Amino acid sequence: MTNPISPFLAPVVGREPARALTAAQWTLRAMAIFTVVVLALALRLRAAERLPIDYDEDDYLRAGQQYATGLQAGDWGVFLRENYRTEHPPLSKIVYGFALAGLPPAPEIPDTPTTANPARNLPQPHLFAARAASAAFNVLAVLALAALNPLAGLFLAVHTLSIKYTSQVMLEGVPTLTSLLIVLFYLRSEGRDRVWLALSAAAFGLTAAAKYPYGLAAVAVGAHWLWQTFPRDGRPGLAALARWLAPVAAWAALALAVFFLADPYLWPDPVTRLRESLFYHAGYAQSEAVQRAGFPMWQPLAWLTASALTFGRHGPAFVLSVDPLIALFAIFGLRRAWERQPVMVLWFGLTLGFLLVWSTKWPQYILMLMAPFCLIAAYGFQAVVWEPLARGWAGRAEGRRGRRPDWRGGLRAAPWLLPGLVVLAAITLYPLVFQVGVALTDFSNLSLRDGMTGGVWREVGEGLTGRAEPVTVSFDRKGLELHWAGPGLLLDVLFSGSTILAFEVIWTLAVVAGQTALGVAVALLLRQAGVRFRGWWQALFILPVAIPEFVGALAWGHLMHPTYGWVSLALGRQLEWTNSPEQALLVLATAAVWMGWPLLMLAAGAGLQLIPAEVYDAAAIDGATAWQRFRLITWPMLLPLLAPALIIRAILAFNQFYLFYVFGYLTSGQIPLTTLAAQSYFVFTPTFGGMFSISAAINILIVLVLVLFILWFNRWSRAGEGVTYA
Amino acid sequence: MRDLPVWKQMIYQLGLALVGLFVLVPILGLARLAFDGSLQGPPLDFYVWPREFSFEPVQAVWGRIIQGQSFVGGLGNSLIVAGGAMALSVALGASMAYAFARMRFPGRQAGLLALLVGALLPPVALMTPLYILLTALKLRTTLLGLMVVYTAFAMPFCIWNLRAAFQAVPPELEEAAALDGASPLTTFLLITLPIALPAIGVAALIAFLAGYTEFAMGWLFVDRAENVTLAMASSSYISQGSVTWNQLAALALLMSLPVVAMFLVMQRTLLQGLLIGGTET
Repeated sequence: MTNPISPFLAPVVGREPARALTAAQWTLRAMAIFTVVVLALALRLRAAERLPIDYDEDDYLRAGQQYATGLQAGDWGVFLRENYRTEHPPLSKIVYGFALAGLPPAPEIPDTPTTANPARNLPQPHLFAARAASAAFNVLAVLALAALNPLAGLFLAVHTLSIKYTSQVMLEGVPTLTSLLIVLFYLRSEGRDRVWLALSAAAFGLTAAAKYPYGLAAVAVGAHWLWQTFPRDGRPGLAALARWLAPVAAWAALALAVFFLADPYLWPDPVTRLRESLFYHAGYAQSEAVQRAGFPMWQPLAWLTASALTFGRHGPAFVLSVDPLIALFAIFGLRRAWERQPVMVLWFGLTLGFLLVWSTKWPQYILMLMAPFCLIAAYGFQAVVWEPLARGWAGRAEGRRGRRPDWRGGLRAAPWLLPGLVVLAAITLYPLVFQVGVALTDFSNLSLRDGMTGGVWREVGEGLTGRAEPVTVSFDRKGLELHWAGPGLLLDVLFSGSTILAFEVIWTLAVVAGQTALGVAVALLLRQAGVRFRGWWQALFILPVAIPEFVGALAWGHLMHPTYGWVSLALGRQLEWTNSPEQALLVLATAAVWMGWPLLMLAAGAGLQLIPAEVYDAAAIDGATAWQRFRLITWPMLLPLLAPALIIRAILAFNQFYLFYVFGYLTSGQIPLTTLAAQSYFVFTPTFGGMFSISAAINILIVLVLVLFILWFNRWSRAGEGVTYA
Repeated sequence: MRDLPVWKQMIYQLGLALVGLFVLVPILGLARLAFDGSLQGPPLDFYVWPREFSFEPVQAVWGRIIQGQSFVGGLGNSLIVAGGAMALSVALGASMAYAFARMRFPGRQAGLLALLVGALLPPVALMTPLYILLTALKLRTTLLGLMVVYTAFAMPFCIWNLRAAFQAVPPELEEAAALDGASPLTTFLLITLPIALPAIGVAALIAFLAGYTEFAMGWLFVDRAENVTLAMASSSYISQGSVTWNQLAALALLMSLPVVAMFLVMQRTLLQGLLIGGTET
């Protein structure tokens, strides 16, 4: 419980159960951390050597040069005068200055606008020195994270985005370390130890002086701290409020002081220079360079699941890429991470929310949440890979005393299963296996004849036995004969599918949330005592389900057509929603909600009948408001009953096809969105692509994602077995 | 039922009417086009009621949905294909669903998951293999072939739903029958099946809709006008580019009528089926 007298002394951090490590375990752990750090260093130095020159590197190298020249001349005033690219605070650039100071001067890099293309060449060894300095800070971040959790450190060490943007002369290296230290020092302090708290504040100041938005880690810390020490049982009053806020305010003030010290460019004229620097970003977010990139709102999710291999000219800079796997583990680890390290999840959530809202969406911004992301992924790995394996191992060691398979039951069930099994094997199982084969070749509409006469299996057989060299698959390289393509195509689709996948996540969430909200609201409305015409309304509301999906899509297409739609004619102007991914999402999701919400209304109506009226009577006696009754009684009791319907709606939304097909045609292919299922169809259809193999690879991706979704949902609610009508 | 104060009743009815509007507006939008004889292409200005009320578009699609094919012919094809897929799914899947609902056997859990995976395959995933399979059997462009394709789409999900239908039957009834000496098959046919029938109807209806509304895959198989279904015909209106909006709307409304009628007839059963499905875990 919180101590009202001294909230400052309250324990605020839930820690993992403390266990004393034996000497052997301690050594093992130290060795693991050491290995991770060496790996991180090696990967980053390799990348620093080989990565092609990227945007902005010339800018920050030039900034470093200016400081280095001053340092070599003994002119310390340079830190007060210069801050090339004033929109970003100077700490990282100062680091580059020190890194370059020991090298013989090179000709000054010319001043170019930020939107200019990457420089053709930059002076060596200066470029490498600056890159290595940046990388060194990120390696220290890996060390810090590995000390908390070696596996998380490993993930951070091998993540290609993390490697790429910290092994270039960007501003990311320093703040990845300092922002992590804000949180780690806070955790170490447990909200009590003043020295650690002071160190945390200092890290906050340094972070802000390196790159502003990394300071979101401190916002997470502040929020967690205030939440934990909130005087719940004391008498509310000004004094209690002051006692509650004072420590956090002191911490923030110390951070501000450190920020000012670490940003010497501010010293001569703090207010003007700080304002200029901050205001730049609001303008930049509206600038043409950002607009032209045209990333949809959910693009950060795509960066999170993508690998640096899929964009830019990466060269042979990376050794391996497991980034999508890390993202996958993170999905499974969220819940455990929230239980063990809520601050980290808070940090992750706050930053992700900020990135989704902020209109500038460069991939390097993802580094702001990379540390908590990798930690969450580590928990996910423990939960879904490590512990099941360990349990299996322990079970094996115990001897096979578990339940023996019930062969007799199998024999009894066999005649019942047989007819269905035979048919399913022929019309779904065989196709699925065939799809895997097709995804390993370059099967297209041109090689249809070859593929139909056994070419797929011939090539797969040759490829698997090493007798065929894999070819690259592309739309321009269709031949009459099939070729082995190897797993490269599948991996390509896995890696490059992340943009659509990110949309799919947003899409599925939006549609299911909309259907649930409307369905539950109407079910509640219909259940109010004394409402008239209940049966009539219900019969009317079921209508969208009875209408074939294609007709519903057509109706909405005619309603929302940019030029000829009923709505645009009523408004008397062209609707512009096809130009913006977010607005298109809104229009299409409304249509999708329309198609499916009645089923959730029915499911919610059925569920509501099962909630005993006494519960509400009790709540009424306790004086609960209508909203409280819903929040605390109806919703928690309803959710498990809705879970099966939610699963089906989610799957159907994820695979939505006819809606996108019809809207695609009605708007002459202008809608900027597509689901994987629609994409797969268009790639498949001879009129558009005729690339059967790419379509097959997309289908396999769909199956993988949905199987994982079901497994995850099953862990979450154990409701999978109850999935019934939809 | 106690009476509500009038103002409260008004507020509730107003809320429901708003939702009703949301449901109806897209459909009315189609209807205003379908009964407008004045339209050549897309509508060019705003109006609520048809400019020139006429049954001409409806008559036009009634006589001809696609070259050499009348509405009735298309409806016949749709019913054959979707109804056949429904019948195949239910007939072949029922016993399997029953085994999953009632029996214990090795691989049951994995089988359930596999069924769900089958239910979530996007239709296009089955295209190439079925294309090859049906070409080899010389069924590719026939209605029977299309029926097989739609069975492949509908069957896994249908089995999943049938399982729920059987699970909702109280096992005590079957146990009683077994005590009286009935064989498992007799119990299934005489006890379980009749009780589960309404819920089976719902599962069948969902399977039917899958085939009835499908067109994209159909066009990859069927290449003769005489085998075109209603959904395929409507989609060809769109993909031809020169859209006659009023005829397309008329066709869309016409093809919805049989399903809406079926839903209204089965509404009570449907609600029951959902009720059972929702409560059973």
